[in-house]
Amino acid sequence: MLKDITLGQYFPGNSPLHRADPRMKLILTLVEITAVFLCKNMYSFILLIAFTAALVIMSRIPPRMVFRGLKPIIFIIAFTAIINIFWTKGDNLLFEFGFIKVYFEGVMFAVFMIIRIVCLLAGTSVVLTYTTSPIAITDGLEQLLAPLKKIKLPVHEFSMMMTIALRFIPTLIEETDRIMSAQKARGADFTSGSLIDRAKALVPVLIPLFVSAFRRADELAVAMECRCYRGGDGRTRMNVLRYSALDFVLLAVFALFCAAVLLINRFAPGFSL
Amino acid sequence: MNQENSNSAGTVELRGVSYIYGRGTPFEKKAIDNINLTFEPGCITGLIGHTGSGKSTLVQLLNGLLKPDEGRILVDGVDIWDEPKKQNKLRFKVGLVFQYPEYQLFEETVRRDIAYGPSNMKLSGEEIERRVVESAKFCGLDEELLDKSPFELSGGQRRRAAIAGVIAMEPRVLILDEPTAGLDPMGREDILGGMRSYQRARNSTVIIVSHSMEDMARYSDRIVVMKNGRVEASGGRTEVFSRSDMLIGAGLDVPQITRLWEILKGRGIELPDDVFTVERACEVLLDLLRTDLQTVKGR
Repeated sequence: MLKDITLGQYFPGNSPLHRADPRMKLILTLVEITAVFLCKNMYSFILLIAFTAALVIMSRIPPRMVFRGLKPIIFIIAFTAIINIFWTKGDNLLFEFGFIKVYFEGVMFAVFMIIRIVCLLAGTSVVLTYTTSPIAITDGLEQLLAPLKKIKLPVHEFSMMMTIALRFIPTLIEETDRIMSAQKARGADFTSGSLIDRAKALVPVLIPLFVSAFRRADELAVAMECRCYRGGDGRTRMNVLRYSALDFVLLAVFALFCAAVLLINRFAPGFSL
Repeated sequence: MNQENSNSAGTVELRGVSYIYGRGTPFEKKAIDNINLTFEPGCITGLIGHTGSGKSTLVQLLNGLLKPDEGRILVDGVDIWDEPKKQNKLRFKVGLVFQYPEYQLFEETVRRDIAYGPSNMKLSGEEIERRVVESAKFCGLDEELLDKSPFELSGGQRRRAAIAGVIAMEPRVLILDEPTAGLDPMGREDILGGMRSYQRARNSTVIIVSHSMEDMARYSDRIVVMKNGRVEASGGRTEVFSRSDMLIGAGLDVPQITRLWEILKGRGIELPDDVFTVERACEVLLDLLRTDLQTVKGR
């Protein structure tokens, strides 16, 4: 039940996007985000859709999964679309209904907005979250941000904290699940009653959960100290990240995509923002 | 339900039950594969199997925490998923003690923690108090511990308090998932002995999941062996423990006495079949030696 919550969405596989270096994927995510906002023209939006679709196909993630990831933001998408349709003023009036006026520009704006949000989420999730394990993401982030150590930012410590937090999310979910089951077996009822009743019903879950979380943290700290962990100074890594040809090919493809978008924005005719 | 009826009740029946974890994801795993099994009241059934053989999944299916993907689970002839809204009633009837149950304690005092289950049953205050004291006794908890915070107790005491919390609901079917994991020999004996006296006193159905052949040899009446989500063998103690090849094939061991017995029998010594504990084996062997001695003297 609780296991259905996907916090890390990682979907194991062996596509080019899975194999790429996490640092490069972080960079590519930034490029993708920039590109999405560069699109200003009908043709560039068509290119964006094609490019995102190509990414999804290349990642070999079932499109069903990608769409499932979009579900939580359907409301936001619908909300922005409606606002854009009714509040954008333009020259070409489509129809009028009392004080509501819908312009051609508004509809186009709404459509572009939907495309943007969907492509943004689908693109970044197949480039990064679906194809990279959370640990690899923090690893990549640490190394990308390594130059910041020069200005005394504790980059390693931050990434260690993130790694540990990510590492323990599934454990805590499992633990919550277990304690909930154990209390359910003793007749706890989490699903009926008033809101206050339900909140009260959670006490027998939260207390043991906190107790065990603190116990775990304590044990982990002792275990790390026993293995002489003393922060990032002088620490070497077991898996050294190396860029491969694949990474640069991907970078080139993304760069080409950006260039194409810019060119289309400048020279293609048709409606643009 | 009248008293007579409830005394005979407690039969759990599985018909063609399967359960799959993570359906439709790359992590899909069939944990329970078409199991047909009946747990009869009035005896302790030991559920044994290698890690990952599906024991824990099976016990969660039995009290409705997991829903089978296929098949039916009947408690006293009623499908437990017929009325999903009445699941709570089922849980009072089928009590489940999880692995490491001491981590579920949450109340300020042990007494109140044990009373959590019975008070969810909406029982009267006196009845709850009676059950708390009685179940603490079955689990070997001293009464003076009842007013301490559960977090002040030792690990073994906490385990007992947690088990008492389930027993206090007086379930017809009591399931314990690895109740003795990580305890010292004394603690194991106490808890399992307590469960046996509970079972004898209430004539209920008790199912104990365990890794320990010795414990099961000592305390169970029937044994069910699981392997890869299927039932590999089930039957009386003697029947199951005599098939040591099958047990070893399921990634398990046989009780040490059974091994000794096989060696002795291999040397042509006649021994009774129903001996599984060290104590009983001592008696049998001593008797044997004495009679041997007498025959020698007689000559």
